[in-house]
Amino acid sequence: MKKVLCIGVAALVAGLVLHFGPAGFAEEEQEHGGDIIFTKPVKAVLFSHQTHIDQGLECDSCHDDPFEMAAGTAEENGDFTMEALYQGKYCGTCHDGETAFASNTRCAVCHIGVKGYNRLYKLSGEEGEGGHGE
Amino acid sequence: MKKRIEDFAKLENEGADTLPSAERRRFLRLGLTVTGVFAGGTVLSLTSSRPARGALVGGEMLRKDPYKPHYSMVIREDRCIDCQRCMDACVKTNDVPEYGYRTTILERELEVGPGEKQREFMPVLCNHCNRPPCVRVCPTKATYKDEKTGIVMMHYEKCIGCKTCMAACPYNARYFNEEKRAIDKCNFCFDTRLSKGEKLTACAAACPADVRIFGDIADPDSRVYKLVHEPTRVVWVLRPETGAMPNVFYTKG
Ligand code: SF4
Ligand code: SF4
Ligand code: SF4
Repeated sequence: MKKVLCIGVAALVAGLVLHFGPAGFAEEEQEHGGDIIFTKPVKAVLFSHQTHIDQGLECDSCHDDPFEMAAGTAEENGDFTMEALYQGKYCGTCHDGETAFASNTRCAVCHIGVKGYNRLYKLSGEEGEGGHGE
Repeated sequence: MKKRIEDFAKLENEGADTLPSAERRRFLRLGLTVTGVFAGGTVLSLTSSRPARGALVGGEMLRKDPYKPHYSMVIREDRCIDCQRCMDACVKTNDVPEYGYRTTILERELEVGPGEKQREFMPVLCNHCNRPPCVRVCPTKATYKDEKTGIVMMHYEKCIGCKTCMAACPYNARYFNEEKRAIDKCNFCFDTRLSKGEKLTACAAACPADVRIFGDIADPDSRVYKLVHEPTRVVWVLRPETGAMPNVFYTKG
């Protein structure tokens, strides 16, 4: 299973995301970026463009600073960590406890985990990895 | 177990009357007061009773816990992000097969407001119970509670694979290992790490979110002791109604 998972991740990182994205990925969502699933440095974080646009944000609220337009740029930077967020970088630009909820709170709002990731990409059963079910 | 865990979301205090008194005394010894029992006795919530301890608690209550060190884990549940690095570390360190597990992460949704839900992840592992039902039912004494450390361990060669312990464990913490032809379970990494001088279990060391705090709950300088005894912190254990006396505590923040 480990191997399968690794290959899966490699394929996704290689840019295949668009070809088999999450089910129910609406056309108009894609027009303004859709959902972004970060897998580095931890698996996985879901960023919804829709949710943020619904808050009244414009494209230039976040692009090209703190985030470049090209998906995956932040993940390649090497400093895309919680520590950076606490210092006001990336998501931490707004998620500072004033503009939006602080980055060190409500972890699982953005972190969907390996289970959430597997559900989106249907890599394995409902439970995700491991067999602790009944 | 999954269904029970999902029930935890409906936390409603039912009073602590149904709690066996031995269980209550054990927490008092640790300096904790029971503040309520939730979800049909499935969750027991506790706070530190240290300020009141001197006045209320006599010599019997202050008796030391039998194990030195007394290994324990405090899980800061709301910080878990289900990255599963703990599971990966456990698998690598303890040679856990693909179909098995010594620890896993459960998922539930909490109602945080009208129509508003929030995801929460809950790491689970063997609770190294003080009164382990698994040990009680094992016909060959293949599973036992180590007298020094309190860790519930396996003599693999004595295990006949009858799976009685699997059925008896209230935490679903055991699986049958085909290669060993025996039951396998978490042993707080005793053979692979603790006995070699490591201070942390593999899962605790691997967690990037500092969720799993491991240490000696009998040592007032340890992180586990301090966390559990913070005056305003609410701590809870799973399934106290079984009387198993778990040594894995849960908290938030
Ligand atoms: S490593 Fe920590 S944060 Fe990640 S799943 Fe395990 S307990 Fe949760
Ligand atoms: S959690 Fe289960 S396996 Fe672990 S000591 Fe308790 S009864 Fe035994
Ligand atoms: S303490 Fe060790 S054996 Fe137990 S779950 Fe953690 S890594 Fe696995």
